[in-house]
Amino acid sequence: MLKLNPQTAKQLQRFRSIKRGYYSALILIFLLGLCAVGELLINSRALVVKYEGQLFFPTYASFLPGTTFGLDYHYETNFRELKQTFRQQGGHNWVLMPPVPYDPFETDLKPLAFPPYPPNAAEKHYLGTDTTGRDVLARLFYGFRIAMLFSIILLVANYALGIAIGCAMGFWGGKFDLLFQRLIEIWSNVPPLYVIMIIASVIVPNFWTLIGVMVMLGWMAMTWYMRTTTYKEKAREYVMAAQALGASTPRIIFSHILPNSVSVIITFIPFSIATGITALTALDYLGFGLPPPTPSWGEMLSQGTSNLESPWIVSSVVAAMTAVLLMVTYVGEAIREAFDPKQFTYYE
Amino acid sequence: MKRFSSLILSPSSRTPGLRSCARLSVWVVASALLLLITACGSKETTQQTSTATETQPARQPAPAETPEASEIDYSVHPLPDNLEWITNDEDPIFASPEAQPGGTFRTYMLSFPLTLRRVGPDSNGAFAGYMRPNQMPAVALHPNTRRYVPMIAKYWAFDPDGKTVYYKINPKARWSDGNPVLADDFVFTLEFMRSRFIVAPWYNNNYTNHIVNIQKHGDRIFSVEGATPKPKEELLWEYGLTPTPRHFHKLDENWIQNTNWKIEPNTGPYQISKIQKGKYIDFARKENWWGNDEKYFKYRYNPSKIRVRAIRDTNVAFQRFLKGDIDAFILVLPSFWHQKARGPLFDKGYINRIKYYTNTPQPAAGMWLNMDEPLLADRNVRLGLAHAMNIQKVIDSVLHGDYERLNTHHEGYADYTNTSIKARPFDLKRAGEYFDAAGWAKRGDDGIRVKEGVRLSLRVIYGTPAHTDRLVVLREEAKKAGVELVLQLADSAASFKQIQEKKHQIGWMTWAGGGLTPTYWEFYHSVNAHKPQTNNIVNMDNPEMDRLIMQYRDAIDKPTRVALAKTLEQMVHDSGALIPTFKVPYTREGYWRWLKLPSTHGTRSTGSLFAPFNTRYSGGLFWIDQAAKKNTLAAKKAEQSFPPVNITDETYRLP
Repeated sequence: MLKLNPQTAKQLQRFRSIKRGYYSALILIFLLGLCAVGELLINSRALVVKYEGQLFFPTYASFLPGTTFGLDYHYETNFRELKQTFRQQGGHNWVLMPPVPYDPFETDLKPLAFPPYPPNAAEKHYLGTDTTGRDVLARLFYGFRIAMLFSIILLVANYALGIAIGCAMGFWGGKFDLLFQRLIEIWSNVPPLYVIMIIASVIVPNFWTLIGVMVMLGWMAMTWYMRTTTYKEKAREYVMAAQALGASTPRIIFSHILPNSVSVIITFIPFSIATGITALTALDYLGFGLPPPTPSWGEMLSQGTSNLESPWIVSSVVAAMTAVLLMVTYVGEAIREAFDPKQFTYYE
Repeated sequence: MKRFSSLILSPSSRTPGLRSCARLSVWVVASALLLLITACGSKETTQQTSTATETQPARQPAPAETPEASEIDYSVHPLPDNLEWITNDEDPIFASPEAQPGGTFRTYMLSFPLTLRRVGPDSNGAFAGYMRPNQMPAVALHPNTRRYVPMIAKYWAFDPDGKTVYYKINPKARWSDGNPVLADDFVFTLEFMRSRFIVAPWYNNNYTNHIVNIQKHGDRIFSVEGATPKPKEELLWEYGLTPTPRHFHKLDENWIQNTNWKIEPNTGPYQISKIQKGKYIDFARKENWWGNDEKYFKYRYNPSKIRVRAIRDTNVAFQRFLKGDIDAFILVLPSFWHQKARGPLFDKGYINRIKYYTNTPQPAAGMWLNMDEPLLADRNVRLGLAHAMNIQKVIDSVLHGDYERLNTHHEGYADYTNTSIKARPFDLKRAGEYFDAAGWAKRGDDGIRVKEGVRLSLRVIYGTPAHTDRLVVLREEAKKAGVELVLQLADSAASFKQIQEKKHQIGWMTWAGGGLTPTYWEFYHSVNAHKPQTNNIVNMDNPEMDRLIMQYRDAIDKPTRVALAKTLEQMVHDSGALIPTFKVPYTREGYWRWLKLPSTHGTRSTGSLFAPFNTRYSGGLFWIDQAAKKNTLAAKKAEQSFPPVNITDETYRLP
């Protein structure tokens, strides 16, 4: 059994006692868990196919042409149709589809009707389709996965750079500190949105270039906090003791100062995640984000607002976004509260 | 002829007082805003107009030196003997004798013009569409017969050298200030358009390299000499210029500032009568216009006033239209036609709807395959790709069945069109056969074809965000054939640049249609292949085609040219270098029931049925029925209804 540091255990206890944040965290963790196995829940590939006594598991396998199942085409099997066919034949063959049998790219177009199609539980388009007949729920879900992944990678990269430079500034001080302070002040004044727009007009951005640019322009925020914390911690006796014992600078920073400023870092994490999601959504909304047809909330938002007569698009994405951002913020609040050393504040 | 874009996109920072760094930041902000505008701005219309303006610089050679005014010759030259003067008053009129004059036609523009000048900085905005048509050319095409009819010139004649045309000006022709239109005004056009004071490089260049000389042969006789011999009808097309009032312009350094808001005398039926800056511009019908009794002008230009209001948002303009503040509204965009232009106002017959097919040169919209790319060098791959593009599904789904399939590069050029060519349909079997023949028989784990470890994955670069929907459908369908399309959305200028520099694999773009006959040299001659900034974006390099293209360029008689054009078009089709996509051969409009149209509604060349001017073709055919206006408004108040009117006119529908 993992033994927690009593301080951490106390913080965890306090976090749990803040119900709003605690349940938000549980839901978010659950959603992230779903994301990991998304292909089993929302996908156009069947989970299991039984054909002529043989079992197929197409989800994570390579593609199966229609001919595998005695169909007359060489492209990827349409498992929804296959399911219908098997059912009509009434033999021993069967298909088990995921709960939402659509992937976020396929255009499910019907003859004599123009997309977007409204929600329809019978067809399992639970939130309807977008303007090209793609399932809104599938795009929402995979859009969430990409947005979360984007924010987390962005966060790690930003914090790694920000913390390293911030700590160095605080630890060494002097000219190094002065130089970086000025540099950061100047660099912070570059408007990231415009820079990305200009870059996007020259090259077609992808996931990694977008992260690259965002990190380039976003690492500064963390440096200020880390600089102050390090300054504060550096003056404490335990650092002096470590120095007296002959510990190297990296050791002091990583083994002594960082663990003691972790509360600062942790309280910022949820808010940074929220910022990451918002930034990506804003860019996609304006058309400077991930290239189409990547599922993205921003793209859905812009599609929804220009097709207000099909309210299921815009309402789904707005509801999803509001819910996720609220939950992230609640978690953030709860963490801040839990890590606050003063449990009660008395005003006189 | 220069085209105008509907967006005025010039970040004119005329701020000499600012320091350079401040100016730089203005630029950054301006360009960022521009990107914003292009990204989320009006979706459908910008595509074609923007490509139209973008194509201009590429089509023209580098500007030459502009001769100074002193070189322009205003003296009278003798006329050659044996000129055969031609006119045309045999063709039928296309306006309606029932037309009633009077009333005010109210329309809108999306931005207030930055200047009233026809040329020079900031003059190429949408408002040029109101200013330029009121400067009439010497001759123009009959909108239905596509034969030439008199405008300012009553007679014309061709020099045997094949590049000079003579014109006799109609003695009735007057400027709006009462001065007669003289040969001097045409000669002055040359001086004016070549002048560096007008700051219009495109015109400077065009009037220097394409027009060699304009000579005066009498008070009302002049000739235009072009640079190269051309068939007669093209001579009139290329060198059919407009006069410029010599008595009005003073060409010097201050010309631009001086003429920004000055009303230039014109020869057309309307002249600006009132300007309320930022709000509206009024045009008044000239009382005693010189053209009133001319055959092809009679019964046209009926409203006595045109008010063009600046309404900066299309949706707001549409609401004003529904309120009855605007008389007619273009409903070509599917969302307007199918969703917004519905409801009681239409059902009760207050507002009529019309879909009118036309037959004019179609913009060449398509997927242009770069044949220098290793993957696309094989003709079998190109043909397979053509059969793997489910254009029809795009039309039937996301385009609401509104667009039609374009069959080949040049459509709508009357006799010159090779109507036997049909675009390759979506056909997985044939696509498969072509790909197999090219050695792409195996499919990888993801269902995409592979050959020697390379996947059959192709980049499609495009510049209009609104087209993503179309490409998404194509991409999903292409997967079935084992082809992957990677969509590359770039800013429209950036995507055009990439295509012009031949860095694309597949360029998704539209060349604006226009001209009188198909053009092949710029698109398919090997001189323009394998190098940046030319229009041969498929890198066509075929000696046999080069030979025919040069023959086509040099041929003067029409039957030869028609035959060559058809052969060349077939060669383009056979090469598979282009996968033609869509055409929109119609206009759709909504109009309040007091606006009346002739029984024919429009002409073969109609742009918009309610274009008040458009003198070159068939503008100004409609009229306002004052009595109908009164009773419509009364009926609307009393909630009485009329039978709804939904017209579809397929007279000129392309086969």
